[in-house]
Amino acid sequence: MSALGGGSSGGEGINPTASLIALVIVLVAVAVVFLVYPAATVPLIGVIIGGVLISFGVHFVPVGGAPAAMGQAPGIATGVAMLAAGGGLAGLFGGAWAAEFGIAISLAAGAIGGGLLMAITCLMVNVVYVYAMGIPAASGKVDKDPITGDTFPAYKSQGTEGHGLPFISYVGGVLGGLFGGMGGTLIYYELLQVYEEALPSVIGASTEGLTTLAVSLAGIFAVGMFLVAAVLTAYNITGTIEGPHDPKFKRWPRAVIGSSAASAVCGLFAILLVVI
Amino acid sequence: MSVKIEASEGGMPHDKMLGIGVVGALVCLYIVYLNSLMSTDVFAFFGGLAAVIALWWGTDSIKTLCSYGLGTGVPSAGMISLGSGVIAFLFATKLAGISPLLVPLGCIIIAAIIGAILGFISDKVLNMNIPVMTRMIAELTIVGSLTMLGFTAMISGSFIFTDLIAGSVSFLGMVVTSYAASVIGGCILATIFMLGAIAIQHPFNACLGPNESWDRTQMCALECGFLSMLVVAVMSVAFLSLFAVVISFVISIILWGWSYSEYIKLSKRDAYAWLDSKPIREVGGE
Repeated sequence: MSALGGGSSGGEGINPTASLIALVIVLVAVAVVFLVYPAATVPLIGVIIGGVLISFGVHFVPVGGAPAAMGQAPGIATGVAMLAAGGGLAGLFGGAWAAEFGIAISLAAGAIGGGLLMAITCLMVNVVYVYAMGIPAASGKVDKDPITGDTFPAYKSQGTEGHGLPFISYVGGVLGGLFGGMGGTLIYYELLQVYEEALPSVIGASTEGLTTLAVSLAGIFAVGMFLVAAVLTAYNITGTIEGPHDPKFKRWPRAVIGSSAASAVCGLFAILLVVI
Repeated sequence: MSVKIEASEGGMPHDKMLGIGVVGALVCLYIVYLNSLMSTDVFAFFGGLAAVIALWWGTDSIKTLCSYGLGTGVPSAGMISLGSGVIAFLFATKLAGISPLLVPLGCIIIAAIIGAILGFISDKVLNMNIPVMTRMIAELTIVGSLTMLGFTAMISGSFIFTDLIAGSVSFLGMVVTSYAASVIGGCILATIFMLGAIAIQHPFNACLGPNESWDRTQMCALECGFLSMLVVAVMSVAFLSLFAVVISFVISIILWGWSYSEYIKLSKRDAYAWLDSKPIREVGGE
């Protein structure tokens, strides 16, 4: 589904030198925060874990793209970035609402928010596929559903890579929503802790209304970082993926390394905001 | 290594567009700073012009990047542009504590650093192996941050962090400072974020295809930018004097009307073969 019909370019394998540089970037970011604002070291690590959760979770989501809209590939008929943004931001809003109840409830609320959105999306996608487009669910990558044991080849139309949304893809979508929502909420929650603690001393004595400011800042930073991690993962997947049974799923270590470096850099600047 | 597909021939070279984009946006942003010097807010609309100039340049960056086949849709480039741009932008507004004049320039430098790291990650760590990737993601991050900076300056007439967090509420005739009524506290940023993201991801996504032409895509970019600027002008009612808002609104609507009519003309030019087409006749009809 590339823009102009050019071949998707993502190669296989891990580039060792580049991955090492990415890990050095993570360490440098953590070291800088440790030196200039030690109280934010743990939140920065939380932000990095959040980015990793997002990028790992996005690999589970069955992304079909334009071919899926025409019933020629399995998955949900839109791009990775849009699906991740939908599922993750729904989770982020759910988790942000619960932030005052502590990290455990907040993370659970975020995960359930993201998972619920993906569950509803997958269900409605299948309703449209089966009752509106009249196509059965058949995976093109495996012959047998790893969970239900359903067989696919007899239902797969010739000339397609499969179609519809098999049960394993549905499960993958919900898992992806859980991880994505949890990751987004973790980024938001950790940044909120930093800002709530640091803003009164940065801005002045007046603490009235500062919570609103902290929530807004943490929220917009979390949205930005979520999109960065999700788009980097989209570039890693290069187009479509069926879910956890797809061979492309094995590419996740690359995205995890990349997203941890990206979240570390973005988190560094988000935390330095209260230092300078 | 992927194969490059030439999106459209002709048009301005990308380096020249980069120059116009950076210099034009910087000049417009520094004009906004006249607001603080002359204690007025009529120059706010220059922020919107800065954002539109940046978007005009960013559309060509997206085109250069996406002519290599990302494997995923064009909008993803717009989302990473604004997602990383908002981080650089917020950090840069804080530089006003050192000197307000540092903000626009600092915004570009910080965005370039973040963008170069993100570009390196996508190109090398994720093995995309696209030659222009590092540079284009860096450019897109700069575009995203300049768009946020420009629209924020247009809404509030300032790009200084302390101005952006303090709003004023009139309560029983008294004017009270309130953080919740500010650009950042009221999370106006989220709306600016999406207005910028739509404006940058739409033009090339809408115009790509076999007969994509440079001037039509760039005119679509201007049209999307001015449309976002129009919404921003309406939103600035909450922060600026009525006179400044009217100026912003009138300028936005004139520029949007001009760009829209030009865009329609260019679309008709590119679709000339269809202009005189007749409705499909049913066989055996009459």
